[in-house]
Amino acid sequence: MAAAAQAVHSAVADAYLVARAQEGYLDAYELLVQRHSAMAYRVALRLTGNHHDAQDVAQEALIAAWENLARFNARSSFSTWLYQIVTRRALNKATRGKSASSIDLLPDLADTSGEPAEQAERNLVVDAVTGALLALPFPQRVVIVLHHFEGLSYAEIAAVTGSTEPAVRSHLFRARRALGQQLEEWR
Amino acid sequence: MSGPVNDPLPGRPSARQLLGDAALPCGAEVDLLLEQAAAGRGAYRDAHQQQCVHCQAVLGEFAALWSPVAEMAAAPVTVPPGLPAAVMSQIRGLVRDVWYTLEITEIGAVRIAARIVAALARDSARMIPGVRVALGRSTQGRLAALADKATFGHHHPDAAVGVLGRTAVVDLAVAVTYNAPVHQVARDIQRQVTATLRGQIGLRSVTVNVTVDDVLGDDEG
Repeated sequence: MAAAAQAVHSAVADAYLVARAQEGYLDAYELLVQRHSAMAYRVALRLTGNHHDAQDVAQEALIAAWENLARFNARSSFSTWLYQIVTRRALNKATRGKSASSIDLLPDLADTSGEPAEQAERNLVVDAVTGALLALPFPQRVVIVLHHFEGLSYAEIAAVTGSTEPAVRSHLFRARRALGQQLEEWR
Repeated sequence: MSGPVNDPLPGRPSARQLLGDAALPCGAEVDLLLEQAAAGRGAYRDAHQQQCVHCQAVLGEFAALWSPVAEMAAAPVTVPPGLPAAVMSQIRGLVRDVWYTLEITEIGAVRIAARIVAALARDSARMIPGVRVALGRSTQGRLAALADKATFGHHHPDAAVGVLGRTAVVDLAVAVTYNAPVHQVARDIQRQVTATLRGQIGLRSVTVNVTVDDVLGDDEG
């Protein structure tokens, strides 16, 4: 596709693309995948802690979303629905036992920007926070990732998790304390 | 807050100790202070906090504790570049279109999948001024059955890119820019797509059905 045409398409609303995809236009779903795959991968990475599982989860979630498009309820946004699918898939992955590998199977994705010393420091931080996140119970991990990493509001998280805003806030209080205690051990 | 705000601190409590408490001696709730620091407002002080050494110390401690999380959250994540393509490849594998154009030449047969015809038609339509989005679909073959499961089971008599021999019927859904001459844009699409499919695929007979189903303003997204 020409770059100009691609730029034009970036302005089209998700709701329009979802409606066309539901009518069988695979092109429309392709645009949704291009738009949301980064989010799916990012959330999966925070929840699973490794690139290999994150890629599996993101891929499975985007395919599952297409297979279940007819069940998509237009009252919520496509991204909220996709967050829901990604978190469920990540939970499945987490409860099926240990992840595919604790070794990073995609080393080319490691952060290599900046000076070596800065990069090593950044990677240390990422490892520490990732370890602290993985030590949390899964529901607490989800609220931390959705709120503090994805910037979702309490109401949006409630929609993703099928909960209420007060319950989300209460979960977040507990999750922050738990994460803080993990980070305190690392400091 | 009713507790003492200026009592001397009994020594610097660790974050671990603080995280085990419900409230500070001044009455401030630990959860709310941690929420404030985690939201990036650790340097902000409300009226009570401006006077309270407990809150000031704890906010500083929590801001430092949370800084690795904020740092990681702000760092970009490199997404595997092939991810969208891998997803679409799997979906296309599920809905593989078995319909092809067919041209018999003196040295053999040339077949082009209907979905390629759809893609060319779509890309050609997207280049017409006034077109905001153009989508081509192909619901022949296995896709029809899968589309029933994956979509509303929508069937439109002219929905598919139907190809037979060197004849094609293409269906395009288009959204146009507000104020664009809709009828003119639709005719331009028909002409452009027909010329593209004849020129690039060698189709002899081409029918292009254009459905303009949305008009978008410049700021609509």
